[in-house]
Amino acid sequence: MPCERKTMRYGHSEGHTEVCFDDTGKFIVTCGNDGDVRIWENLDDDPKFITVGEKAYSLALKNGKLVTASSNNTVQIHTFPDGDPDGILTRFTTNATHVTFNSSGSRVAAGSSDFMVKVVEMSDSSQQKTLRGHEAPVLSVTFDPKDEFLASSSCDGSVVVWNIEDQTQVISWPLLQKTNDVSNASSLCRLAWQPGAAKLLAVPVESKVHLYERGSWDHVSTLSDDLLTQPLNVVVWSPCGRFLAAGSVGGFLNVWDVNSKLCIERQKHEKGFTVCGLAWSPSGSQIAYTDTEGCLGMLDGLGTPPTDKPAKDYDALFDDDDDGVMDEGLSDGASPVKKAVAADDEEDDDFLMPLTPFARHADTGSLKLGQDKFGDDDDDAGSAVLAAAAPLLPPRPVYEGPLPSAPQKAFQPGSTPAHLTHRFMMWNSVGIVRGYNDEQDNAIDVEFHDSAVHHAMHLTNSLGHALADLSQEAVLLACPSTDELASKLQCLHFSSWDTNKEWMVDLPQGEDARALCLGQGWAAVATSSLMLRLFSVGGVQREMFSLPGPVVCMAGHGEQLLIAYHRATGFDGEQVLGVQLLQLSRRKRQIISGEPLPLSRRSHLSWLGFTAEGTPCYVDSDGVVRMLNRSLGNTWTPVCNTRDTCKSKSDHYWVVGVHENPQQLRCIPCKGSRYPPTLPRPAVAILPFKLPLCQTSTEKGQMEEQFWRSVLFHNHHSFLSSSGYEVDEEARSQSQKEQQELLMKMFALSCKLEREFRCVELAELMTHNVVTLAIRYASRSRRLALAQRLSELALEKASQIQEEEEEEEEEEKRQTAGYSGHRQQEEEEGEEREEEELREEEEQQETEEAAETKPGQFHFVHSSESERSTEAAESSLSVFDVQVLGSGKPSASSGQPRVTNILDSMTAGRKSAALGGSAGKSSKNPVLKPLAPRPKTKTQSTLLQLTGSNKTKKSQESAEPQVPPPAPPAENTENQRPKTGFQLWLEENRKSITAEQPDLEEMDVIKEAMGRFRALSAEERNEKASDECVEKRFKRRDYSSWRFSGEEFKGQISFRGRSAQLKTIHFNKLNPNS
Amino acid sequence: MDPSEVEFLAEKEMVKIIPNFSLDKIYLIGGDLGPFNPGLPVDVPVWLALNLKQRQKCRVIPPEWMDVEKLEEMRELERKEEAFTPVPSPYYMELTKLLLNHASDNIPKADEIRTLVKDIWDTRIAKLRLSADSFISQQEAHAKLDNLTLMEINTIRAFFLDSLNCMYKLRSNLQPGSATGQFTDF
Repeated sequence: MPCERKTMRYGHSEGHTEVCFDDTGKFIVTCGNDGDVRIWENLDDDPKFITVGEKAYSLALKNGKLVTASSNNTVQIHTFPDGDPDGILTRFTTNATHVTFNSSGSRVAAGSSDFMVKVVEMSDSSQQKTLRGHEAPVLSVTFDPKDEFLASSSCDGSVVVWNIEDQTQVISWPLLQKTNDVSNASSLCRLAWQPGAAKLLAVPVESKVHLYERGSWDHVSTLSDDLLTQPLNVVVWSPCGRFLAAGSVGGFLNVWDVNSKLCIERQKHEKGFTVCGLAWSPSGSQIAYTDTEGCLGMLDGLGTPPTDKPAKDYDALFDDDDDGVMDEGLSDGASPVKKAVAADDEEDDDFLMPLTPFARHADTGSLKLGQDKFGDDDDDAGSAVLAAAAPLLPPRPVYEGPLPSAPQKAFQPGSTPAHLTHRFMMWNSVGIVRGYNDEQDNAIDVEFHDSAVHHAMHLTNSLGHALADLSQEAVLLACPSTDELASKLQCLHFSSWDTNKEWMVDLPQGEDARALCLGQGWAAVATSSLMLRLFSVGGVQREMFSLPGPVVCMAGHGEQLLIAYHRATGFDGEQVLGVQLLQLSRRKRQIISGEPLPLSRRSHLSWLGFTAEGTPCYVDSDGVVRMLNRSLGNTWTPVCNTRDTCKSKSDHYWVVGVHENPQQLRCIPCKGSRYPPTLPRPAVAILPFKLPLCQTSTEKGQMEEQFWRSVLFHNHHSFLSSSGYEVDEEARSQSQKEQQELLMKMFALSCKLEREFRCVELAELMTHNVVTLAIRYASRSRRLALAQRLSELALEKASQIQEEEEEEEEEEKRQTAGYSGHRQQEEEEGEEREEEELREEEEQQETEEAAETKPGQFHFVHSSESERSTEAAESSLSVFDVQVLGSGKPSASSGQPRVTNILDSMTAGRKSAALGGSAGKSSKNPVLKPLAPRPKTKTQSTLLQLTGSNKTKKSQESAEPQVPPPAPPAENTENQRPKTGFQLWLEENRKSITAEQPDLEEMDVIKEAMGRFRALSAEERNEKASDECVEKRFKRRDYSSWRFSGEEFKGQISFRGRSAQLKTIHFNKLNPNS
Repeated sequence: MDPSEVEFLAEKEMVKIIPNFSLDKIYLIGGDLGPFNPGLPVDVPVWLALNLKQRQKCRVIPPEWMDVEKLEEMRELERKEEAFTPVPSPYYMELTKLLLNHASDNIPKADEIRTLVKDIWDTRIAKLRLSADSFISQQEAHAKLDNLTLMEINTIRAFFLDSLNCMYKLRSNLQPGSATGQFTDF
């Protein structure tokens, strides 16, 4: 029978609530935890109430007598409906838990927490029978309609049937779980005896109802429902005795037909509270129920006796596999119950709604629908089905895709949130601006880290400035617009040298300042109308332009302006930000124009700014610090993750500054928040940087990380120099040295790990000098293939260097044109040619004169001027010198590799740098003696192909006459010429070499000597170099004597310039021991 | 040794300050200091910190142990233990006095700290007196006291040594062989 569940009414306070009908069925009476008994006429009515005590645990009503178990451990009687107290029926040592009348109303049974069950005569309360035997509080009692037996359930797990007269236990079933108290019991186990025939006793056991037969006390059947999973609390019989209603924990209400054992009704409490009281109205058509929250509900429409209509073929409407789920009735095929439907209580949503949580199958199995379908009248059924079906359709489709995330508001980086009364308005490397905004006053405090910049300032914030920025020159403040006043920008230009140290400007109506920043001599404001306005620090308005989106924050440094703004709306917590980097120098340009700003997932921007050296960087809310990598095409590289050093999840670091040299991230650790409080004064901590490369725990990873970090953090040198700033050369060279050292270490590691391919790759990153070291390392460790490859690499590098130097040289030529003329005269008397003559010969002309240049001077090489020998000499020298300068600090080793390479390159027929030219010369030297002209020509043609071949010829010619004349001057010059390291060494060891191989020609001796010298350690060479240096300073260069002197043939190359400390001449790089 | 000498030695301890000026690294005989960057903490000896503080060129950051809770714990521990407990710093008394006299505005709860340190000092001096007393009364030959600071030793040194010397003199005079009355002067 479809029944209607009415909305529940609030009846009592939370707690156990009981309900019963009065004899007429007109009133519903409830009692609850508030100690009241309420009398309802129907659910919509306002009840009358009687207070029976502090709490009312149970009630029973019959014959105008209301019996309640109250908290004063008594069972009281009140008249009904007046509610006048009518005496105390019985007492217990603790409260009674359940009271019930017998069917005639002559007796009352009460069970209590003191394990007793008492049966008291209504008429004479002194007549009591006490039934002892329970070992735990009594949960419920019920009278046999025939007054013979009393059934009780208790927390000791047993259900006992007593013989009342004998006060003995007839039978006891251990059905329930044992607990120690009523409140802990999983089920109240309110049992009920079938009225009328009294054949069956219904006992709720867990989620089923056991039916026991009277007399034999056999468990004859069980009523259950597959959908019932929770324990049943209470069962009541219908007055006719045919139906059994049960309420469960979880709020399910079921009604079974006892004969057919079918569940004919299922209902659920609208909120799912536990049903603890159930009463069937005497008419049999209503069930009142109460829950543990004190509410009262009604089920209407029950009680129509089922007719025996054959089951309609509803199966066709549903899947067959529903059977398993459906009740037995359906599977039987004959489900009389449902037929009743023809009575078209097509109650729709009320009872359908509770079913929606059920599975569709369950729904179809559920009787409500089923019943509707079973009805023979199809239209009714149909419409019922439709009506039933309609609410079951899912409601309007709900959008379940990604939701847009709120774009973050504009903020000043280095400030704490604006809603605080005491906040930091700006904390950067210059100082701190604090804002105080409580009820009394609104003030701004400016404090400088370096008190030399300016003394601390205290201002009253009459305009209500909310944005601030601080630089070495000025303090910039801005306030939002109000109804009367426009948004203002105020600048306290304290470094101004005139008397006016402050200016203010009104923004146009409708524009609010959203972000501001200061740079070197300028200020910028981003406004709410997507404009960016530039001002000079003195107050002159400059350019302005439109921003592509609402600004998030801005930062300025020197001539650079960095803006972060919203490019679009992000979804799912992501922010879509764009960044613009502008250069506001004389030549204004946009370096990054609106590219996306990469943030971590679902994070927002928390800080944006520049490092102290001018590299843009930013921090997101995940603690990742990213810096602009100019050398990698203006990409953003993460350099630090502050969360790595955070001990707990709620600790954050509030960034105040980033420095590249020394590498420091200055931030304030905040416990439990993202920003620090104003007081106590926060202490700045310094965090190191670490690139998140892979496997930084291994040695390789560590070195790689150090290398790339060094490269990244020294990018600013090249940037500064390109922008025309002075660069700290020492720092730059220091960093380069560091990087090369790291590369060398990585090289050594890779060698050790037999990763020669990697070695070559690493060598590509090295500078020329370090490649030589690498070659040496490789050859010493017998990795000849590697050494071979490295030498090829070195050659390439050398040629590259040469090209670069030629370019430089061209520039310098133009620069110092006048200078060479001057030099020329000085060098008139130069006698011999120097090694670089190789180069000059190629170009050309006579190179008799030994040009003398002081180290480090510029000379030009210009092909048009090559007529002059000095020029030629100079040219080669100058090229060499240029080279020297180009390489920074010349060192002994730097000369060597070049020479080596050039020599090798000569054999390979490649061009080489001037040094190489010198080397070439040296190689020529031994050759020169016997075959002076030809080798020269050869080398000339192979080496410098800069100038035309006519020069070659000239050199050839000049070479010849050179041979004789230099001999005498050679002597002189030789003495005068400073000795190179090799020369010194050769002198020392010549004897040993000749001793070993006496039949060597001079040339070979030299070769041998060179080979050995090369194999010497670098220190020894340096030693020689220093010796040579000393000599050089005081002597004129003598460059050609060695070539032509017989005995004095010294196969070394002496160069002008500092780098002339070259000691070894390597004929064959690949053969260390040649 | 004079207490002022002990204080002088204590001034060599390092303490963190935040300067408000800029200075490159300075190379002193005792070691290198700096560089000083405004707003960044730097470790300097106490004598320099106090000097800078008096010239209003820095802010002193109290050492880690100069904290009310930590000192309270130390005080409880000191009271519980019979022997001397390890001290937060070998010059805790001097540092407290110096820093609280000159830089109390940079140290939170300065008065409480003063009281707590004084309590610790009193407890330790009391233990020291007791120990000296038992040493003499039981005529021990050796004693070993751990975790004493120079200042504490200094308070007892003069008296203790003199009294021991006197007692030696007296004792040696009591010996029969010393009836000649010859004793060396200390």
